[in-house]
Amino acid sequence: MNTIACVSGVELLMDYLEGVLPADLHAALEGHVAGCPKCAAFVSSYRNAPRILREATAATLPAGLEASLKAFLRARTTAFRSP
Amino acid sequence: MAAPTAEPSDETLAARAAAGDDSAFEAIVERFQARVYRLACRLTSDTDAPDVLQETFLQVYRHLPSFRGESRFGTWLYRIASNAALMRRRASARRPAEPLEVFLPRFDAQGQHVTTPAELQVASRADELLDRQVLAAKARDGLARLPDLYREAFVLRDLEELSTAEVAHALGVEPATVRQRVHRARLMLRGYLSDLVGVKP
Repeated sequence: MNTIACVSGVELLMDYLEGVLPADLHAALEGHVAGCPKCAAFVSSYRNAPRILREATAATLPAGLEASLKAFLRARTTAFRSP
Repeated sequence: MAAPTAEPSDETLAARAAAGDDSAFEAIVERFQARVYRLACRLTSDTDAPDVLQETFLQVYRHLPSFRGESRFGTWLYRIASNAALMRRRASARRPAEPLEVFLPRFDAQGQHVTTPAELQVASRADELLDRQVLAAKARDGLARLPDLYREAFVLRDLEELSTAEVAHALGVEPATVRQRVHRARLMLRGYLSDLVGVKP
């Protein structure tokens, strides 16, 4: 029998996924999620959020910026001096 | 023609640069500039990222002699970049209007979910590309509205994919603190994005 409520399960979710929960709590949470469709959906969306954010914010360095970074460092350090 | 040689490790380059080898510093810049720019965009904005990029490598140049190899070089560099981003955010002093707390999950008196939590899914079909642009804008907005401490931890852990131990080292806090901050950020962002990226009952 698990005695974990959804709210406690959500509180413990990060530690659960990182594998740092005590074994009994880990098992209790696993049992709750297996029997609670709302929590199963929650875990899924909780795990998806980082990936979605990662893909949506993966900026690439503009070519012009690379040149201006070198010029900036050439002016303030002894690097990027040789042709 | 030179024989192919293995790329020197980050730490080898750092040691050479610390000893005054400018070509090693230049190689560090080449190796990390794209990552630092991406990080800077995530921690500040497209507008502020170029300044953060410059400031980060200037600080790296100045402080390299004090790099003691207590962490991986990349972790040390991320710490400098995170600090530069924080300084930049404070300087620009743009504060988001509404925090993300309202997007935290809700529970009833028995501790059960009040509503069925939305599934987060990203559209993959070509006709949904516009949604992806909307999503990118909303993702940037969501990151910007996180409290500074949560954003830092979340970006390093979940977006730059450092380990929890590395983030703890980069931010100078305990791993348990990192987990707590990342968790809160995930909860807020999950709720914030759920109306946009597809709700499945």
